[in-house]
Amino acid sequence: MSIDRETMRYLGWWLAFGVLMCLLPLVVGTGTLRILIFAHFLAMFAMSWDFLSGRTGYISFGHPFLIGIAGYTTAILSFRFGVPIYYSIPAAVVATIVGGTLFFLPALRIRGTYFALVTLAFMEILYQLTKVVAPKITGGTRGMSGLESIVSGAVNNYYMSFGIMFVIGVVLWLLIRTRLGVALSAIRMNEEAVRSTGHSTTKLKLFAFSVSAAVSGVGGAFYVHYIGSIAPRGMFEINFLFTILVAALLGGAETIIGPIMGAYFLTVLLEYLRPVMPGMERYLLYGGIALVLYVVRPAGIYSLIADAGRKVQEWRR
Amino acid sequence: MALQILIQGFVLSGLYALIAVGFTMIFSVGRVLNLAYGVYIMLGGYIYYAALQEAGLPVFASFILAILAGVTFGLLTYLLLVRRLEDNPIAVEISTLILAVVMQALIVVIFGAAPKTMWPVIRGVLRFEGISVTMNILLATGVSWVVLGSLMAFVRYTHLGRAIRAVSMDRKGAVISGIEPSFISMVTWALSGAFGAIAGVFFATFTQLDSHMWVFPLIISVAVVIVGGIGSIVGSLIAAHIIGFVETITTTIIAAELRGVSTMLLIILVLLIRPKGLFGRAEL
Repeated sequence: MSIDRETMRYLGWWLAFGVLMCLLPLVVGTGTLRILIFAHFLAMFAMSWDFLSGRTGYISFGHPFLIGIAGYTTAILSFRFGVPIYYSIPAAVVATIVGGTLFFLPALRIRGTYFALVTLAFMEILYQLTKVVAPKITGGTRGMSGLESIVSGAVNNYYMSFGIMFVIGVVLWLLIRTRLGVALSAIRMNEEAVRSTGHSTTKLKLFAFSVSAAVSGVGGAFYVHYIGSIAPRGMFEINFLFTILVAALLGGAETIIGPIMGAYFLTVLLEYLRPVMPGMERYLLYGGIALVLYVVRPAGIYSLIADAGRKVQEWRR
Repeated sequence: MALQILIQGFVLSGLYALIAVGFTMIFSVGRVLNLAYGVYIMLGGYIYYAALQEAGLPVFASFILAILAGVTFGLLTYLLLVRRLEDNPIAVEISTLILAVVMQALIVVIFGAAPKTMWPVIRGVLRFEGISVTMNILLATGVSWVVLGSLMAFVRYTHLGRAIRAVSMDRKGAVISGIEPSFISMVTWALSGAFGAIAGVFFATFTQLDSHMWVFPLIISVAVVIVGGIGSIVGSLIAAHIIGFVETITTTIIAAELRGVSTMLLIILVLLIRPKGLFGRAEL
């Protein structure tokens, strides 16, 4: 990969974004920071989804399955067996990558709409199993609470979650700009054509699945230690999947930056609507927004901003 | 034990066949998976409940209202959403899933989050050799057979039905013979909404009404399509029985908690071993 001027310019934007977000705790209160922490975790999940589904076109409806594996692994290890979190979190990430490989097996044979359904089935199976199998270890329907936290206080958690998200974002973004990223996009457009150029689509897909699973694993493990509890309901729920999907789509799939914007937009919107609409009305509203935007503008908010930026540049010329 | 499995299996499979038929139709004609299909079932149940138990209308009128609601919503899904995205099955899949979650929120806003219990459509229990089956679920099985039978007669012997079959076999060929596919699609979506609503009334009396109730019937429908292959009515009937019996055997012999797991494993196994379904491709 050669670092051209465009890449440099974008890296400048990333740097500006990083500096801005690092200065934010000086200005805003802890309440806002706690909201943003959730946005960071959602952004990690949405980027993970985007790297797999936005890139390769293998639409996953089972990301909560991956996140759940990470969450349960670290929760069980640290809570039930007293393993220090320095070991349990890496173990959770490894377990998620293994889970991602499991996810990958059906992708060898099926694609398109059926693939999404299999991943949904994976999620539902894990939902049922965590409730039934070994409830003494998983905590059954009630799950586990009182998990060890990594750092305490809103400001520390803010920096930690932002740091992880920022690193993941930059790495994934650089990755999709390499030849590898181009090859992954090509799989979405025409898998047979990629195979006929002599590339192994199996290896490429396995790579995309592993990276996506690793990101979900990191996000999921840190997430459960931040909220301090885990339960099958809430984790393996269609509403959770919906939030991830909408964040990625709303922001603009295939861009990595889009899902981050989508996550911020969604979390902040949800939070400011809370006083006006306390319950399910919010889902109604933002689901409605997402639906209209998806039908009218499938490329998402990112494309709106990019278009506006291009217009401004043209106008200045 | 064997008799119990046999009776429960048949009854459950009948209900599943009724649940799945509307979903299969859309897949067969339009080649898209409508993940908002579970909503028609939920809507049918809730409208029936509101008409019968809150407004005090007679059973028959409540049924008609439920079916009308299903038809309306089916048509709206097609006209406002699916028709705009029809060339892209994945976009349809994603947008109908979002629609389903939106409708789930709407149901909570209107009816509240607390589950509601529905009266059975008919009362009474039938006892036979120590096994008891409610008349309600027997009626559901009966309705299922009648609905599927008349649907089969409809697509074989009526002009409109044959046009639907033609579109499901070969869209271009149908257009050449003077069939308007967008009209046929509208008919299919309306019928699908109606079947969903009928199934919803029985499914809701079988379990209960709550805002999450759309997920399970959707999974059953998806399983029927995957196991049975692409949308033949007989194929889905057989698939519904395979799923119903596997589930009954799992829950009676292994553990009642594994109700959903067996169906999921079946979906995954069939997709891995025979991605085209057990009975391959067939027309409606």
